Amino acid sequence: MKKKFPLALIFIAVLLFFSACIKDTDFNQTDAIEITPIIELDFLFSNITSQTFTDIGINNLVLSDTTNFNFLNDEFTVDNLERAEFYFKNTNSMPVDFEMKFQFLDDNNEEHYLISIPIISGELNNPVISEHIENIETDGIISLTMANKVVLSIEASSSVDNLEGTLKLQSKTTYYLKIIQ
Amino acid sequence: MKYLLIYFGMFWGFSMISQNKEVLYGLEEVPQSMLLNPGARINYSKHIGIPFLSQIHVNGGSSGVSVYDIFQESSTNINDRIRSKIFELKNTDFFTATQQIDVLNFGWKSKKEIYFSGGVYQELDFVLYFPRDLAILAWEGNANYIDKEFDLGEISTTGDLLMVYHFGVNKKINNKFTLGLRGKIYSSMLSFRSVNNRGSFATRISETDNNIYEHIINNADLTVNTSGIASLSELDGSSQVMSKVLGRAFFGGNLGVGVDIGATYEINEQWTASASVLDVGAIFHKKDVESYKVDGEYTLDGIELLFPPLGSGELTPTYYDDLVDEIENEFPIDTITSSYTQMRPVKTYASVKYNFGKAIGGSGACNCLKMGENQEYNQAVGFQYYSMFRPKGPQMAATLFYYRRFSNYLSVKATYTADSYSFTNIGLGLVANFGKVNFYIIANNLLWYENIAKAKSVSLQLGFNLIFAE
Repeated sequence: MKKKFPLALIFIAVLLFFSACIKDTDFNQTDAIEITPIIELDFLFSNITSQTFTDIGINNLVLSDTTNFNFLNDEFTVDNLERAEFYFKNTNSMPVDFEMKFQFLDDNNEEHYLISIPIISGELNNPVISEHIENIETDGIISLTMANKVVLSIEASSSVDNLEGTLKLQSKTTYYLKIIQ
Repeated sequence: MKYLLIYFGMFWGFSMISQNKEVLYGLEEVPQSMLLNPGARINYSKHIGIPFLSQIHVNGGSSGVSVYDIFQESSTNINDRIRSKIFELKNTDFFTATQQIDVLNFGWKSKKEIYFSGGVYQELDFVLYFPRDLAILAWEGNANYIDKEFDLGEISTTGDLLMVYHFGVNKKINNKFTLGLRGKIYSSMLSFRSVNNRGSFATRISETDNNIYEHIINNADLTVNTSGIASLSELDGSSQVMSKVLGRAFFGGNLGVGVDIGATYEINEQWTASASVLDVGAIFHKKDVESYKVDGEYTLDGIELLFPPLGSGELTPTYYDDLVDEIENEFPIDTITSSYTQMRPVKTYASVKYNFGKAIGGSGACNCLKMGENQEYNQAVGFQYYSMFRPKGPQMAATLFYYRRFSNYLSVKATYTADSYSFTNIGLGLVANFGKVNFYIIANNLLWYENIAKAKSVSLQLGFNLIFAE
């Protein structure tokens, strides 16, 4: 009769263990998990003088250069980029206005997005800062993430031959990501 | 991702705490208590564990967060709860998972009153420290953290799957003192570790004025040691991987040696002290070793366009590809195949207990069943200390316990433990003997059993042995 005592207790103990439960929780909330980092990343920079124009030719008014930007159309960016905000800062100490264009192209050189920035003339001892913010979202993001290279063109409003001063470009992009399952 | 998170949550909920076995320690009716103190008192002549069933132990832990903290039914947004926890946790918080299965366990008392015991058990041990800075960077990005140095050295994790062959001796030196020693041979099946890393990542306003920012990886030095893992990538399918890993269980892996030592001192009839040090040893990883090391420094400030004059047919410079190449050259991944030695995580137990209650085997000042030995009592209270060395320092626990022997058939031990996980850990162990069959079941964090999602740790041990009385 005595041996039934521990048997009953053991039975209760094992039952107790299996009675443990998880409640007041909702694992379907994983559907609502959104990781939304905001990433600041330098973009393009350059520092040009009149010599940069004349290296191409006397009275040359246009500079152009191209770089790949492969991560713009990679799968992660296409899936998760919600918004991109480009910030451009041009410091001009040349007495000439410029027009700066950023063309976002794909492999077939088809343009998907264009940013145009007017740059005001400055003076050697009194450089003028031109700032531009380009906020891209919704359809703009779809277009932007179809591109994988950037062409930067700078067009002077008049000849820059033998002018002193520089045109300094600094830029960054703020990427707003939204990562969901 | 959803199913991965649910699986992780369930695993978390069901199998959590560290390697501390506070209930089993000192529970002398269970032969497996000798694995925690080779110098434990032994009151039987021999034992045989039921193969694969003499000890099944799963545990693990999260020192700073429970499943409920994240997945509770609540009006608050789950993303707010995750963010809140990321900032609340410290880089010394950790996640652990351990598991043990006794394959064989046996012992016998010789004519010279030495108790020999041995066996084989499989062990899994994993720890991951919470890389707080990297979690903040991943969750928030760097935009609101200009000038903050994110610490890459917070990456700290180890994992081991091994088989342990052990043989020990236990001798009651005199009426007061019992001493035990256990030798171990480790056969590592899989192992990885990434500790003692350093370096930082920061975004700061440019000091050179080249561009707006400078993104700086400073003084990076990251290493991952692996053994038994590299060769698995060449195998085809999970059955081949399983076969290869299991093959290492029988001395086919990287071998190591270790020792456990322990003692029990019966100060007087009422007071008993004991202590043990476990897994003092190392594994020598020589076979199938691959270590990966990355070090370097780099400052990124975007892509500089140079507008070079180009002739007909000339291509523009490959700025982007050059940048990628430059970064890869700055951080080459060195693959090292030289052997390395891994110290086992040393565990320490210490205990003092006060015996009281009804005398067992007689009454008064003598033990009438074991003449000349101290009287035993059916109840005890005491204090236990536990520590385990981990990469960022010891994990410690303090336990108060109450032990009661109801009869020859049934003993119970209840514990209250304060550790890195919580201050509300109540454990309970029950040992029953049916003739020669010895059964035990131990669980902790019972306060949370009503809803273990709220527990930061839960563990379970159970097993069957055959015990032959003296």
